[in-house]
Amino acid sequence: MLLPWPDPLRLPKRGIDMTLVAPFQEASLKLKDFQDRFQRAILKGDDEILGHIPDGPRETKQNLLGVYRDAYVLRLIEVLGTDHEQLRAYLGEKAFNDMARVYIASQPSQHPNARWFSRGVPNFLKASEPYSRHPIVGELASLEKALNDVFDGADAPVVHLSDLAAFAPQDWGKLTFVPHPTAMLLDTHTNVAAIWTALKEEREPPSATTRKEPTRLLVWRHEMMPMFREMSVEEAMMWEEAAKGSRFDNLCELIAFYDDAEGAPARAAGYLKGWLEAGLLSKVVSPA
Amino acid sequence: MSDHVGQKAQASKSSVRTPAEIEDRPPFLGFGLGLRSQHYQDIIDGNPAIDWLEVLSENYMVPGGRPLAMLDRIVERYPCVMHGVSLSIASTAPFDEEYLDGLNTLAKRVQPKWISDHLCWTGVHGVNLHDLLPIPYTREALDHVVSRVHYVQERLGRQLCLENVSTYVQFNQSEMPEWEFISELTRRTGCWLLFDVNNVFVSAFNHGYDAFAFLNGIPANRVIQFHLAGHSDMGNYIVDTHDHPVREEVWALYKAALKRFGPVSTMIERDDDIPPLAEMLDELQHARTLAADVLEPKKGAPALAGSTTIA
Repeated sequence: MLLPWPDPLRLPKRGIDMTLVAPFQEASLKLKDFQDRFQRAILKGDDEILGHIPDGPRETKQNLLGVYRDAYVLRLIEVLGTDHEQLRAYLGEKAFNDMARVYIASQPSQHPNARWFSRGVPNFLKASEPYSRHPIVGELASLEKALNDVFDGADAPVVHLSDLAAFAPQDWGKLTFVPHPTAMLLDTHTNVAAIWTALKEEREPPSATTRKEPTRLLVWRHEMMPMFREMSVEEAMMWEEAAKGSRFDNLCELIAFYDDAEGAPARAAGYLKGWLEAGLLSKVVSPA
Repeated sequence: MSDHVGQKAQASKSSVRTPAEIEDRPPFLGFGLGLRSQHYQDIIDGNPAIDWLEVLSENYMVPGGRPLAMLDRIVERYPCVMHGVSLSIASTAPFDEEYLDGLNTLAKRVQPKWISDHLCWTGVHGVNLHDLLPIPYTREALDHVVSRVHYVQERLGRQLCLENVSTYVQFNQSEMPEWEFISELTRRTGCWLLFDVNNVFVSAFNHGYDAFAFLNGIPANRVIQFHLAGHSDMGNYIVDTHDHPVREEVWALYKAALKRFGPVSTMIERDDDIPPLAEMLDELQHARTLAADVLEPKKGAPALAGSTTIA
């Protein structure tokens, strides 16, 4: 015997009359198909699911489904705006929202935590017209992403300058260093640091400029606060080498090649002191 | 702790509970707030009159830094519960096992009195829509959610607590009302219920049913937490925005909920336009006063006499 298929048009428009719905249960949409359609309605604007929704007592089903459609986009725009406060200030509300809508449409969130939704913004801006024509936009997003990442990045111990007293001066050459896990180097080709700072202080940002040679920004967390500063080519070279596990005497030799050899140990000691004062190292290791 | 109301009332209820219920029912915590980063410092520096805090699980499922450092200091001083938004218990997509591992890791840190999430789904095909989406209340969906709740309870090594969500649409194929679905779910899984008073109000308005039908359709002995929150009235429908103080109509429903469910750990949610802590404390005090009015024994009458039904 053929069972009748439910005809949405025959179902009550207002509320649900269980006596009408129950006989047709065999043919009702499976939960999986229902969720597929509901998700398509939100992501793609597909209206198929409306055939399974009654009008509300005071509002049309189109408008009620619209609550979910609008909330999806608005919530994610808010997430992006929170994570990229300075980018929003730089672009202005309208341009930022336009950008956010394109980003949201291009890559739906795949993580249970909305905290990670904005992670793709820098790459998106660097690869997508018209933003890719303005390197400052992508670099501003990169700097904000780095600051967000260090804010809640992994915890680790911090070595202080006074901890170095535990090592005999003759052993210093053999020491190796472990950077704090949040510390990262960011290569930039614009005056992003100056622009970010002006925006943060609610000042008019300077005009964007580009440079051929990269400016290296060190981003890290110090006493729970995200920080960044510019690193000279020499210091960045020593930092990267230290992060690979090179001994202090090798680090001194490295920078002796780069600049004045005689002053290299003093310069290396100066950089090291700065790192310790800024909470950039998690461990100092002596081989014995 | 301002739990004198609860202690008296619980004592009066104990005679009608089974021994098993007395053993595993989480404690009445009093009157709490949702922990928000805007209030970290006030909570740590002061000694605000908050009995307990609800921690949004996902906010602390991060590697480290300030959120976890603050959390560690706060859980030392306040009883906490964990409340998530991404469990997606009703989804037909496989569970995110990494997320469940993350919940377990966080639970070790927080030692929550219970872990809650919502009776909803948040996405399929690897997508998270970051919303609490509605389901049709069918027997198929019920069987599906029951099996998922069993799985999560096994995975977390504890009973889950599930919250009713605000909904804006219903579905033609629903075979039972929401409260019947929820009642069956708790009966078949033993999960606890977080009764969101505002969500009941919002959904009842949006779908044109009687909020009291919902209230009276929920088994009284399974509700261990109340949520109170503000909403936005759009005229023809209401949106659960958590950006206003609790509305009068919701306070009225809260009083009715207290009458039916007795002393249940109560908290106020605020997620947008978050006011200073002092303002939240005033609102919480209002909840305390209402609860005392409803639950305190009146002259010559035993506590809760005639007001609480054990389903």
